[in-house]
Amino acid sequence: MIAELRGLKPQQIAAAAFRLREIGLVIALGAAVVFFAIRAPNFLTVGNWQDIARDVAIVVVVAVGETMVVLTRNIDLSVASIVGLSAYISADYLASHPGTALGVAALIAVGVGTVLGFVNGLLVVVARIPAIIATLATLAIYRGLSFQVTAGDQVSAFQLPDRFLDLAASKPLGLPTLAWFAFAVAIAGSAVLRWTRWGRDFYAIGSNPEAARFAGIPVGRRIILAFTICGALSGLGGFLWASRFPNVDAVAATDFELDVITAVVIGGVNVFGGSGTIFGVVLGAVLVATIQDGFTLLRLSEFWKMFFNGAAIVVAVTIDALVTRRLQDALRRRRAEVLAARHAAAPPRPEAAP
Amino acid sequence: MTRVLLRLVLRWETLLIVAIVGGGIWSATLSEFFFTRINLLDLATPYVFIGLLAFGLTFVVIAGEIDISVTSILAVSVVSFAQLLDHGVNVWLATAAGLGVAAALGLVNGLLVGVLNLPSLAVTLGTLAAFQGLAFVILSGEGVAEFPQRYLSIGGGYSKQELPHALVLLVAAAFVLGLLLHATRFGRYLFAIGSNREAAHLSGVPASRVRVTVFVISGLMAGIAGIAYVGFFGSARADAAQGSLLDVVTAVVLGGVNIFGGAGTMVGVFLALILVAVLRNGMQLANVGGDTQNIVIGVLLLAAIAAGNLGRAIQDGSISLARLGIRRRGVIRSDAKEAAIAMSVESQTPKGR
Repeated sequence: MIAELRGLKPQQIAAAAFRLREIGLVIALGAAVVFFAIRAPNFLTVGNWQDIARDVAIVVVVAVGETMVVLTRNIDLSVASIVGLSAYISADYLASHPGTALGVAALIAVGVGTVLGFVNGLLVVVARIPAIIATLATLAIYRGLSFQVTAGDQVSAFQLPDRFLDLAASKPLGLPTLAWFAFAVAIAGSAVLRWTRWGRDFYAIGSNPEAARFAGIPVGRRIILAFTICGALSGLGGFLWASRFPNVDAVAATDFELDVITAVVIGGVNVFGGSGTIFGVVLGAVLVATIQDGFTLLRLSEFWKMFFNGAAIVVAVTIDALVTRRLQDALRRRRAEVLAARHAAAPPRPEAAP
Repeated sequence: MTRVLLRLVLRWETLLIVAIVGGGIWSATLSEFFFTRINLLDLATPYVFIGLLAFGLTFVVIAGEIDISVTSILAVSVVSFAQLLDHGVNVWLATAAGLGVAAALGLVNGLLVGVLNLPSLAVTLGTLAAFQGLAFVILSGEGVAEFPQRYLSIGGGYSKQELPHALVLLVAAAFVLGLLLHATRFGRYLFAIGSNREAAHLSGVPASRVRVTVFVISGLMAGIAGIAYVGFFGSARADAAQGSLLDVVTAVVLGGVNIFGGAGTMVGVFLALILVAVLRNGMQLANVGGDTQNIVIGVLLLAAIAAGNLGRAIQDGSISLARLGIRRRGVIRSDAKEAAIAMSVESQTPKGR
């Protein structure tokens, strides 16, 4: 495979690697679908696929935010706690103010998430705490806040207005409304990462923070921005979570961060930062949700899912690292060849020789 | 003289002792039973497994890596042990097997990080979930609660009906691991690798091998922590120690171990563990719920790293002391520098090959 890449420009080699990654995901997804279709008779039904779409939707909304953080060579472990807290606060508000527009409740959820994400960003950038430790602490702190806010109470489905529950139940054009939300977020996230200057900055920071700083990119502000967006999208995810699982209490969405991070990592976002696409992440989320749904249909224990998530992260990271290393070797060889060719064409002048 | 005193006062360990005493006085105002000898001796027992996990993690963090899978390794270790015992295997054989499983899982982490050079953060985040799932699968979600008394007494028994065995185990582990960290060549290698891996490698430190070893140590300590855990709680379940990761990481970082690697002391981690135990115990006396306690411990963790960063920034002069109203007095000794000097001395000594 590497040999075929000779003669290509570096950018083309990188693009080829990305395509390989996405083709690999599609193949894995196809294999999973075939496997489950044979083993579980009700796998290939419209109802089941709509269920998968609902699961994918919430993962994708949060994973787009997580992608931005991981691109900058950081990580946010606190997303599940933000989802849980904002789910409760927005659902509680809707339950006590049944007349409110859904948009207002969504804004409240996003607002809560934005503040919490901003705090994460400040801890990482201003207090210079490594992201994994900072967000491990805020994972516990935000969950603790959830217990303070709920004070043992829970919001139940019957307290919530039907139009809110319809977000998960209704299916315009055959796709659940939740999935349309996810679709919009994925398109917007993709556009931001592709075309805006600050979106490109995320890649630059993740590839080489030092070089990014020298290139005049406000690295600290961009990392805070990435965490804030991740928080805001987790808030939106919380709002959607409450409509999908309308009995919300203090432990809502516990361990959900594993689903999100698995989707991001197997979706091809490099944990060293600097590369990855939203398209890949969406594929990753679909693969995770499909396999988990298949496990449920096969009545496999909940815990095999956990094992799968963890193993998938390790395998994806290993493959990524190996491919990246071979790619770098190929690029280095190529650069050496180019230099050698140039050298041969124009021999060094006598005074340049040692 | 004043300078020596000042340095002593400003040492991290001194601050920890002051905080422990403060926490003790606060606890004493909450309950008259706090300052009884029995309570003081028993205070630390529920945190012994956390301490043992933290001691193992200390090695990993000083070497510049992280291992967040330790609680899951503990879980796999105790359920493997329980499952073997349930199938009639001799208790000490099963114990040895449990430790072996723990070390093997640590080795998995170590090979992925040390040999394949993968980021320890992503690897152990993956194995955190994978091992946890594995623990549930091994015991199929049930719990085992029947163990021979002699086994339980390691983690839950008393000698002379007063001194908890677990406390003895904790102090012994701290002593042995402290020696390994501070008085052996292996320990100095850790500080060197944590300060600058490239430089350590170039000066002949077997960096890969050492990095694999620290993860095995961390896994093995999780296995030993499992013995203390089962002894204290009297049950082996797949969700054992789940949710204790925050306390483990806090004990390590609050103990003054540099989260970026290269510095830290076993004494500091031991003191930080006592501080966490005193605080949690005090909050329980004050009737504060477990999840609210987590807020306090989480803030403490963040504050400890922020304070450490501030201290280092002052040391290397990127924040001027004059601005903070303190005059700078010489260069404060750092463990990393010490290790680097020790390294260079050692590399100059000729070795027989």
